[in-house]
Amino acid sequence: MSDVFGISVSALQAFQQAINVTSNNVANASTPGYDDESIVLSEALPQADGLATIGSGVAVSGITRAFSQAAANQLNTSQSTLGQLTSLQSYTTQIDNLIGTTGGGLSTALTSYYSAWSNVANDPTSTASRQALISAAQGVASSLQSTASQLNGLNSDVNTRITGDVTQINSIAQSISTLNNQISVTQGESGGQAPNALLDQRDQLVSTLSGLVGVTTTSNSDGSLNVFVGNGQPLVVGGQVTQLTTVQDQYDAAQLDVSSTSANGAVLNNELTSGDLGGLFAARTQAINPALNQLGQVATALSTQANTQQSAGLDLTGAIGAPIFSSATPTATPSAKNTGTGSATVAISNVGALTADNYLLTYKGAGVYTLTDTTSGANVALTGAGTALNPLTAAGLSITLAGAPATNDTFLIQPTASTASNLKVVLTNPSQVAAAGAITASAATTNTGSATINTGTVTNPANPALLTPASILFTSPTTYTINGGAAATLPASGKIDANGWEVQITGTPATGDTFHVASNTGGTGDNRNALASAAQQTLGVLNSGTTSATGAVSALITGIGSQASQVNTAQTAQTAVNTAASNNVQSVSGVNLDQEAANLLQWQQAYQAAAQALTIGNSLFTTLIDSVNGTYS
Amino acid sequence: MRITDGLSQNQFLTSIQALESSLSQTQNEISSNQSFSTPSQNPIGAGEVNDYNQALAQSQQFDTNANSAKTNLTTEDTALTNLQSQLQSLRSLALEANSGTASNANLSSIATQVTQIQNSLLSLANTQNGNGEYIFGGYSTQTQPFTLNATGATYNGDQGQRQVQIAAGQTVADGDNGEAVFNQIKTGNGTFTVTAGTANTPNTGTGVVGATTVSNPAAYDGQPFSIVFTSPTAYNIENGAGTVQTSGTYTSGGTIAYDGTQVTLSGAPVTNDSFAVTPSTNQSLFTTVQNLVNALQTGTSGANGKTGLSNSIATAINNIDQALAQASNVQSSVGGRLNTITTQLSASSSQQTQLQSSIASIQGLNYAAAITTLDQQNTTLSAALQAYTVTQGLSLFKYL
Repeated sequence: MSDVFGISVSALQAFQQAINVTSNNVANASTPGYDDESIVLSEALPQADGLATIGSGVAVSGITRAFSQAAANQLNTSQSTLGQLTSLQSYTTQIDNLIGTTGGGLSTALTSYYSAWSNVANDPTSTASRQALISAAQGVASSLQSTASQLNGLNSDVNTRITGDVTQINSIAQSISTLNNQISVTQGESGGQAPNALLDQRDQLVSTLSGLVGVTTTSNSDGSLNVFVGNGQPLVVGGQVTQLTTVQDQYDAAQLDVSSTSANGAVLNNELTSGDLGGLFAARTQAINPALNQLGQVATALSTQANTQQSAGLDLTGAIGAPIFSSATPTATPSAKNTGTGSATVAISNVGALTADNYLLTYKGAGVYTLTDTTSGANVALTGAGTALNPLTAAGLSITLAGAPATNDTFLIQPTASTASNLKVVLTNPSQVAAAGAITASAATTNTGSATINTGTVTNPANPALLTPASILFTSPTTYTINGGAAATLPASGKIDANGWEVQITGTPATGDTFHVASNTGGTGDNRNALASAAQQTLGVLNSGTTSATGAVSALITGIGSQASQVNTAQTAQTAVNTAASNNVQSVSGVNLDQEAANLLQWQQAYQAAAQALTIGNSLFTTLIDSVNGTYS
Repeated sequence: MRITDGLSQNQFLTSIQALESSLSQTQNEISSNQSFSTPSQNPIGAGEVNDYNQALAQSQQFDTNANSAKTNLTTEDTALTNLQSQLQSLRSLALEANSGTASNANLSSIATQVTQIQNSLLSLANTQNGNGEYIFGGYSTQTQPFTLNATGATYNGDQGQRQVQIAAGQTVADGDNGEAVFNQIKTGNGTFTVTAGTANTPNTGTGVVGATTVSNPAAYDGQPFSIVFTSPTAYNIENGAGTVQTSGTYTSGGTIAYDGTQVTLSGAPVTNDSFAVTPSTNQSLFTTVQNLVNALQTGTSGANGKTGLSNSIATAINNIDQALAQASNVQSSVGGRLNTITTQLSASSSQQTQLQSSIASIQGLNYAAAITTLDQQNTTLSAALQAYTVTQGLSLFKYL
């Protein structure tokens, strides 16, 4: 008879617990990381009663949480990828807006610059048009500078965010290790019962961590969790944390890299490819620095073209034109880890072969160097010996080395990275604009033949004899001498090359006809050089002379746009993947209030039934007592 | 799938954000009237539009260049018209002086008028354009190209000819240098010239040179020769070395043909009078005028008197005719260049229209499509919001 009480009480207790669990679910319906919990009931051990066994009530054997490790892992992986794309996207979008549809105003500035050259060509003696040209050149330089400085600003922002991410990762790692300790202690004390709240918290931390950096986890038998980053670098092992650290880049102290206290200072950038941190490295190496390099490539093309053309002409004072732009500035930075004393100097030898990539020069010992393209990782063939007379040449660069490098010393060569930031207009005096050609050719008035001469073009501004007066005397209709030198035969093309200039004879000269080539001093109305400068708007100079500076800007716009668009697409796709993974986790672990309401009703009714059973047991007992009292009273 | 409250919240938020983002994008397109504002929205298109814009700006600059050349060429055209009219006056004066009735006093007065024309010619040769540049100075546009001297004028310019870019790969000269217009003028008939007597031994007869032509260009070898009279009715043709090549009988007003040339002589030459036939050389217009002034001032009192004057004036008229021909040639070349510019300006105008429509077709916005899209997105967003409130209202707890 006593059984009905025991059973009912066990039921009342169990259902009260169940109602508690349900209330807790309702209370945590919106708690991030909370996993729906359910009570596990089992039949209490039965009692033997003669031949039959009668149950002795209900027992609470545990409270479990609805958790799927597979679904959680899937979400974590997806979050790492999404984190990477989202942080990369934040930079590609900024660059996309920065470059915009006009290359950050560069395209407009270049148009004004070339128009200004045309206006100088239309009116070469006008100081106003020359001044306008200098202003337009300054417009180009400041556009390049401003875009480059904003890109450099993005690089600083990347550094700040790397520091922030590392701090946050370390702090989460610390929390996980603390939870690991608590979980193993609690689990031990409760005889193996899972501490659900702690597990929820830890899973939530791992999930947050996944957004920052890709992680892999392994579980230990004591309930603790090991967390690894990159290619197995330990971050948390049980209660032990190995912190990530930021270190200065070996080539550029302004760039931060990430290392780990267990990695002996080795840079882990290339291993940490996912999560927000991975996105930051990708933004730096795939978006910001390439954009800077490409801008620098345009700046290099522009300044080389403009300055070379200046040197082929005369300014208003009759002097050879001075450079308009500061010259391009390739850099070669030795690694901070170099042990030798070697240093490298880089100059641009061929703009047409110049790329927007960076290169790593490695000393292999015994005078041998290798050059690697850091973008493609490909080896680049080097010629030359690295001396001033015979520099190493490759990719349009000439590299001169000095000092004593040690074997495996490296130098980072950045042909164009800082050119856009450093481009300045160095020509300030409008009269120094070289609008006129350097030389002019004329026919003697006494000539009797039908031959005419063009005014000549400069083919090699560097020729020291360029401005030396020359007389071309025809000793027969097809042979000539220059300044009384050796006789030469007039080619069928009629072109005569000497002293860095070329003139074209048309028609048939008579014997004794003379043509003069001389410095164009006084030719202030000449515009040949200005015409040539204006024509550079469409003149190929980059990519073996196939792409003009303005064409390179269009390519830059398309390149930046494609990258941003590709990242946007990937990010959108990954967001969908992540939503699906997150829905999957929610579906397994989330709280459904309707379900909880139904459960509440169920437990309430069960509780009422158990209470009713107790009442019936009580009334049975009372009946028994009463009947006994009646018999003996 | 088990739907939890967190899941439906998530799904609602994700889809609302996506809808709002695309709505904002459409709104931005409509307000900017451009189908894209950053390269990522149309990477290829953005690059193309940039190229087209460059081409458009360049084409517009070519128009500016063409108009600048047009201004300079128009100035030159006017100067050349004036030059020709001055040369015509000069020619009339020369003819008047050659009429045979003019006295020395008359000749002197004609000489004064010729000198005035010489000054006008000088001023034309030193014409400046609106920018203060000398248009006939070649490249030396800031140096006065012509200054008079005792034998004509010194040319201080050069033989440069400034080109202006009026289209891709097409340049047009915006002027001509003074050397080509005023100095490189062939003497005589353009091929050869006939001179009566020599400086040391002037003719003494009254033979004057008339019309000269090249009757057979293939036979003319360009070697100088002389017609030397051996009697008033007979002459020898001697080559440059004085060797007799052939001989003939002279009739006044008849032609003497040799070596592909024909020379008309009239009057009464005497024995030992000679007429030298030499290939034409270049002579400055100013030298021609100065020679004419000198001849007029000398009048009939110079060597061989009236005949000498007559021969000098005939030479001058020949040279003036050459100068007229040269001026006319240059002017027609200028006219040709002005035509080229006009043609190019109209071509470039249609090219620019083409480029603008290409840009519009890539970057321009299709309003009808954009507004339809906006409407559609708006409807979807309202429906999504509505759906949320409806589903959120469903809860079993309401019925407990």
